[in-house]
Amino acid sequence: MINKNLSILIILVLILILHLGVLQAADQSISDTSLVTDNTISNHSEEHPLPAAFMVIPFITLLLMIATGPLFYRHFWEKHYSNIAMILGLITVGYYLFVIHNTQTVLHTLDEYISFIALLGSLFVASGGILIKIDRKSTPMLNSLLFLFGAVIANIIGTTGASMLLIRPFLKINKDRIKPYHIIFFIFIVSNIGGALTPIGDPPLFLGFLKGVGFFWVIEHVWYIWLPTVLAIILIFYFVDARNMPESKSNISYSNKIEFKGFKSVIFLGLIILSVFIDPAVVDWVPSFDPLPIGIREIIMLSIIFIAYKSAPPEILAANEFDFEPIKEVAYLFVGIFATMMPALQLIAYESNVYGQSLTPGIFYWATGSLSAFLDNAPTYLNFLSAAMGKFNLDVNIPDQVLQFELAHPIYLSAVSVAAVFFGAMTYIGNGPNFMVKSISERAGIRMPSFFGFLFKYAVPILLPIFILVWLVFYFGKV
Amino acid sequence: MKSLDEILQNSSSGMYYGNRVLLPFHFTALKIVIEKDIITDFSIREKGAYINEYPDFTEIYFIDYPVLEESISKFENIKMVIVEKGKDIFDFSTHRKIAIRPEGDHILSIKEIDENTIFIE
Repeated sequence: MINKNLSILIILVLILILHLGVLQAADQSISDTSLVTDNTISNHSEEHPLPAAFMVIPFITLLLMIATGPLFYRHFWEKHYSNIAMILGLITVGYYLFVIHNTQTVLHTLDEYISFIALLGSLFVASGGILIKIDRKSTPMLNSLLFLFGAVIANIIGTTGASMLLIRPFLKINKDRIKPYHIIFFIFIVSNIGGALTPIGDPPLFLGFLKGVGFFWVIEHVWYIWLPTVLAIILIFYFVDARNMPESKSNISYSNKIEFKGFKSVIFLGLIILSVFIDPAVVDWVPSFDPLPIGIREIIMLSIIFIAYKSAPPEILAANEFDFEPIKEVAYLFVGIFATMMPALQLIAYESNVYGQSLTPGIFYWATGSLSAFLDNAPTYLNFLSAAMGKFNLDVNIPDQVLQFELAHPIYLSAVSVAAVFFGAMTYIGNGPNFMVKSISERAGIRMPSFFGFLFKYAVPILLPIFILVWLVFYFGKV
Repeated sequence: MKSLDEILQNSSSGMYYGNRVLLPFHFTALKIVIEKDIITDFSIREKGAYINEYPDFTEIYFIDYPVLEESISKFENIKMVIVEKGKDIFDFSTHRKIAIRPEGDHILSIKEIDENTIFIE
């Protein structure tokens, strides 16, 4: 069933690529080619009619079904979620192509989706070929240190890479006393907030880097927000974990050894990270395949998926119980999310540009954050960056003006960057790795909270007060 | 009937037909994880897994997985926490973690879960 659906998905994507390629080429031959090519959905809204407000219904429907499906109609949802995501996505794509004739936004969204899934898929497969065994007693301190380590390396190998690399050893260390809160704090810190320091950390920051934000700008301007936030969450975890520490009765002895297998896959991980920079916007000699929504980077990543899987030692894959299902689930759900959120993003871009003049850093922080929790944080970041720059008559598509903006108005860039990354931890759909960590944990026998359980039992009571503090200390009252 | 230890030592296998699994020993299941389904309710009101005991074997029907061979991928297992019949179910040291997987030709491998595989009771 799943394989059949996957084939249909691939065929649909290929047809769409070819179809859009032809339409895009036709568009370009008609339009004035001297126009600056923009990459933001916000700017597309200037060239194309806005979608009708009712077109956010497929997106809201999909979000509601993701939230309620596993709770109230689990068997139906598990059997049909891929079809539902594709049908809702196709309704929106059909509307864009045949009703408002906006091929550019669809092509751009497809481009982002392929980049997204190529990165997640390659990191997922490469990390599946790595086996880390830590034979130490699980303690709140060890877990806290592992979180801190995860938060740091998320900035080197991305939140997805860090999550995939560390989730299995984390589960193994805690196998005798693991509870859902362990996984949830892992999602908070390693899969999201940790990666707020570099453009590699999280996709929105990478988009900013592609637009001209300095590579080290984020770490210079965000580290003093990142550090207390990460430490505060780790501190809360420490107390929760200490309270849940069982009284030691067992006679299990630990060697305190750390065993590492799968160096070949580490090389693949390195190649994936390097390939992130193989982009025509970063390196001059990299060819662009425009209007096709795929580049050298994606070809490298997709090749690594194949090579890494074929060359991984079977005993490591078996020990990790490697299965493509978690990445398939992300691929299906996010194809629907990416497609159905186009109208929502375009409308938000329009509204933020209209009201941009009156928006303060605090409002940018909350607007970017609250939407990043439910939408893809990368385009949300770009839309609000565009709106913030528009407030000062600067254009996000001109690198010199981005440089000017980061120097003259760092508080705005900081607010948008911090919120886009931090708030991805608020829901399972806030960031790609969240779902994958959940899926791997469930396969290990851990019953994870529902969408609403995650949001209201953990994210709202733990993260929201911290995010309010971040706002009060760093953005409140600033202009 | 062989004991679970004998089955594991001799690498004896079970059988499967579609969604029906036949295991050559008697046991009480406490938890079964198939894909990301965590089954702990084995009563007839729940769909997940339906277990019957016969004199020579125990059978499990996985209601939501009509063809097990298609659902369980190359490196995956169906993981179970079980207690062999006759052992004290309330003594946690008798709880065994078993991995079963369809190998093709209706042969079902039965192995004890090793320390490398993550499976939380």
